Amino acid sequence: MLLQLNNIFKWVNSGGQRIFLLKDINLQVEEGEFISIMGPSGSGKSTLLNVIGMLDTFDEGTYDFLHESVHSLKEKHRANLYKEYIGFVFQSYHLLDDLTVKENLEMPLLYKKFKGSERKAIVADMLDRFNIVGKKDLFPTQLSGGQQQLVGVARALIANPKLILADEPTGNLNSQQSEEIMELFKKLNEEDGVTIIQVTHSEQNAAYGSRIINLLDGRKVEI
Amino acid sequence: MFKNYLKIAFRNIWKNKVFSIVNIMSLAIGLSASFVIGVIVYYDLTFDKFHPDGERIYRVTTEFNSPQGSSYNPGITVPLTQALRDQESTLIEAIAPLFIAYPQHVKNKESALVFKTPKYVVYTDPSFFEVFEYQWLAGNKQKAISEPNQVVLSENRAKKYFPNTSLQQIIGKTIIYNDTILTTVSGLVANFTRRTDLVFEEFISLKTAATGDMTGTIKETNWGNTNSASQLFIKIKENADAKNVSLLLKNLAKEHEDKERAAIGYSSIFHMQPLFQIHLDSNYYTFDFAESKASASVLIGLGCTALFLLLLGCINFINLNTSQATQRAKEIGVRKTLGSSKRQLVIQFLGETFLLTMAAAIISIILSKWLLLVFSDFIPQGVSFSLFGSPIILISIIILLLVVTLLSGLYPAVILSNYKPVKVLKNHSVIGQNKSGLRKYLTVFQFTIAQVFIIATLLVAKQLNYMLKKDMGFKTEAIAHFRTPWQDDSAAKKTALLRQITAMSQVTNATIAGNPPASRSTHSRDISFENGENLTHFNLQLLYGDSDYFNLYGLNLLKGRLPLNDTIQEYVVNKAFLKPLGLENPESVVGKFIKSGEEQYLIVGVMDDFNQRSLKSKIEPLAFTGDPDRTGRSQFNRIHFKLETSAINQWPSIIKQMEEVWQKLYPEYEFEYTFVDDSIRRFYQGERKISTLLNWATGLAIVISCLGLFALVIYNTQRRVKEIGIRKVLGASITDLNILLTKEFLMLVGVAFLIAIPIAWYGLNSWLENFAFKTEASWWVFVVSGFAMMLIALVIISMRTIGAAKVNPVKSLRSE
Ligand SMILES: Nc1ncnc2c1ncn2[C@@H]1O[C@H](COP(=O)(O)OP(=O)(O)OP(=O)(O)O)[C@@H](O)[C@H]1O
Ligand SMILES: [Mg+2]
Repeated sequence: MLLQLNNIFKWVNSGGQRIFLLKDINLQVEEGEFISIMGPSGSGKSTLLNVIGMLDTFDEGTYDFLHESVHSLKEKHRANLYKEYIGFVFQSYHLLDDLTVKENLEMPLLYKKFKGSERKAIVADMLDRFNIVGKKDLFPTQLSGGQQQLVGVARALIANPKLILADEPTGNLNSQQSEEIMELFKKLNEEDGVTIIQVTHSEQNAAYGSRIINLLDGRKVEI
Repeated sequence: MFKNYLKIAFRNIWKNKVFSIVNIMSLAIGLSASFVIGVIVYYDLTFDKFHPDGERIYRVTTEFNSPQGSSYNPGITVPLTQALRDQESTLIEAIAPLFIAYPQHVKNKESALVFKTPKYVVYTDPSFFEVFEYQWLAGNKQKAISEPNQVVLSENRAKKYFPNTSLQQIIGKTIIYNDTILTTVSGLVANFTRRTDLVFEEFISLKTAATGDMTGTIKETNWGNTNSASQLFIKIKENADAKNVSLLLKNLAKEHEDKERAAIGYSSIFHMQPLFQIHLDSNYYTFDFAESKASASVLIGLGCTALFLLLLGCINFINLNTSQATQRAKEIGVRKTLGSSKRQLVIQFLGETFLLTMAAAIISIILSKWLLLVFSDFIPQGVSFSLFGSPIILISIIILLLVVTLLSGLYPAVILSNYKPVKVLKNHSVIGQNKSGLRKYLTVFQFTIAQVFIIATLLVAKQLNYMLKKDMGFKTEAIAHFRTPWQDDSAAKKTALLRQITAMSQVTNATIAGNPPASRSTHSRDISFENGENLTHFNLQLLYGDSDYFNLYGLNLLKGRLPLNDTIQEYVVNKAFLKPLGLENPESVVGKFIKSGEEQYLIVGVMDDFNQRSLKSKIEPLAFTGDPDRTGRSQFNRIHFKLETSAINQWPSIIKQMEEVWQKLYPEYEFEYTFVDDSIRRFYQGERKISTLLNWATGLAIVISCLGLFALVIYNTQRRVKEIGIRKVLGASITDLNILLTKEFLMLVGVAFLIAIPIAWYGLNSWLENFAFKTEASWWVFVVSGFAMMLIALVIISMRTIGAAKVNPVKSLRSE
């Protein structure tokens, strides 16, 4: 088992009122799963994904990741855990505009203190795998949306994460581009055994996954 | 439209509160420093500008050249006046000799009111009133002081001497100087109401002097004597060329020079000092010794400081406004598509800048008032807040505000208004980033200035500390001295005084002698010394004292003995005496003779060197000798005493006792004593002022630069929140991020440091040139100041970056 959420609650206080963003979420994810989170806008999909990705905290409940209890870990420890196992893909790519494609890919390796020669090899390998060798010295603004997202995915994968979290990875792409990304996810999932959790609005994309979690007003619902 | 601009301006200022405050505060600091310094400069530059034909009036002064260098005297040799008058001159309109007198007291004969030591009393003749135009309240300028025993009083003086008497009644009344010189008030003039250095209050006819106590001085015929009390003003003719007058003076000097002395390198030159320069020329003093002297170099220094502080303020403005460009890009785009011209936009932005500048100006006026209070010690007495009301100052302030507005507003305005609307509206995050080059240069410039200021502060303080701590070569602790009145040279009184002081229980030692080992006053004589074949001429300083004095100050005899005999003058010379002779061994001069004119003096001993002046001056050849003339004008007129070091809290009462003794002997004179330590500290008053001013300038420069830095860091972290978020998501730790954010700024500060080093090095070395004894410009001063600056910058930067690095990436990335 990769991770387990038990009775997770998250809320914010606003004007003396407690607004729940997540309500009693229970979730078990096995290694090698491909999960899609769906639900209407504002239902808490991103929030849940951030909690899973340890980017955000929760107020109640327990969260175990690879048998470590995330809720009782120190900030630093949690960051290490995250750095080690998780890769993020964003809807709006979030590439660094001042850096070239190659440098963007290199970034996570830098923070993981890889050696220069190793970094070079891994980056070259990744560029090759994603078929973007020709673009390596371009800046993100010189790429199309689909290409940027490709780089975003490549960057998320570069440090060999066990888990990829993708928040509407194809939200800004046309159908052909999004299909390419989904195929890529599928391949990663099937061939490399990477666990994937994605947030999506599209039934079509959700179909790539093995399981769908529906959210409504911060609560898991069965359809 | 205008209202709309104003609304937008106010909203913008309000929206960017932090930036606006930084802008306003840094400009306000720069402006208030400029205001205060401007007022001081204005004050010092507007002395004696009001005299009719003032540009034709000169004071004739003397410069002495000798192999040792030049010295200056505001006076002239007495016969020069007559020589000038004898010249059938078509150049000079009026020649006014002036003798400054120091009467002990003056008495109103009728009322028997006595006034002690009146100041600003001069002997002069009617030509003085030809040169300077006074407003005559009674009497007239031709007749008033044309005869002996006449005096013209200023209105203020007249009212003081003759209280409750109408001005007309004062004419014809008698006042008596020093009980012997009877004068009749023959005229009254109004005091000058504008700023002036001509502070004279009483003008006694020169013909009176011939019969009174000044006879010797006034009848002096020797061209070789120059007394600073004998001064000369001339007014040249309207069409005369000052150069020709100067030439005339040069010829006179040449004609009357002492050929023998000229042969060995001594000469004197007469200078024509323009009237309005009297206040600024640091070579000569003015007539009011109490007033601290302005000097052109100090004014230039002050001016530069003000300019720099103002520039620093303007730079913050430029930096912050261009950095905000991104945020305003949209407004600009919209305005342009709505038909606003570039010019209108520029005017709009300049208007905003002016609004901020005005706010800064209002604050700075309040700050100025406070600064004037803080700096009251440094600011000439006459400078006050009310000077701000003078039209020239007001106009200058308005011009300054406009210049500042243009300087700081024009560039950002042009940059902003140049944006292409389509580009701006399509993607407004692209612009404003490649313009950061200039911002970097400006920031480096700011920190260079701040850094130079820091280094200067440290080094000046180091030099000051060095001078105060350095061993002068004689003892100073618990030693004090006072002078007996020069008007009363009674030997019996001095002996009595000394006896009573020696008898006091807490006085361990007391003696009567000349000046203390180090002082501002000098006695010197040109001498020659024969050393085998060579005859060497040089100037020898003289110090008068006996063996008690020698011991009191802990002077150190190296060879020979102290002077024995009072009647024959025997000399103990210092080691510096050997230098011009090219000798090393003290023994080689003992027993030899010093020649001065016809006289010969025996060298009986050699003593160790000590500093005779402040450490600014070199140690000159000096001779220690007894009283040359016990009966006549004795050099032994100062009582030196050492107090019990342990009884420091009883000192005031001992001094009080001394004063009582003094009062019995010299009831007419005031008792003024000086501790040697204090007088040494007073040598460095100028440097202490510089040091304090530098502290302030440095503080302000740091504050302004750091305010700017702080705002830039805020801007930069704001701009980079997204990047920070991404990096965090990719695994960057808080330390990683902090380094990332800090690095760029610290690099700027580092570059500034590198630029500052040579500038500061050069500037301070040339400042240290003023000192014969100087501390080293050690490397650690630079290192420490560099570190200090780095540390300050780091603290300022981290205040912001740590916060920024801690922000949860979910928050910073969610907006997209
Ligand atoms: N810090 C917060 N304070 C208040 N409300 C918040 C906060 N964070 C999230 N919310 C609210 O929580 C709800 C869930 O937000 P979330 O971003 O998870 O929605 P989502 O399902 O991802 O929606 P979308 O499909 O539009 O991306 C929204 O109503 C949002 O306004
Ligand atoms: Mg979302």
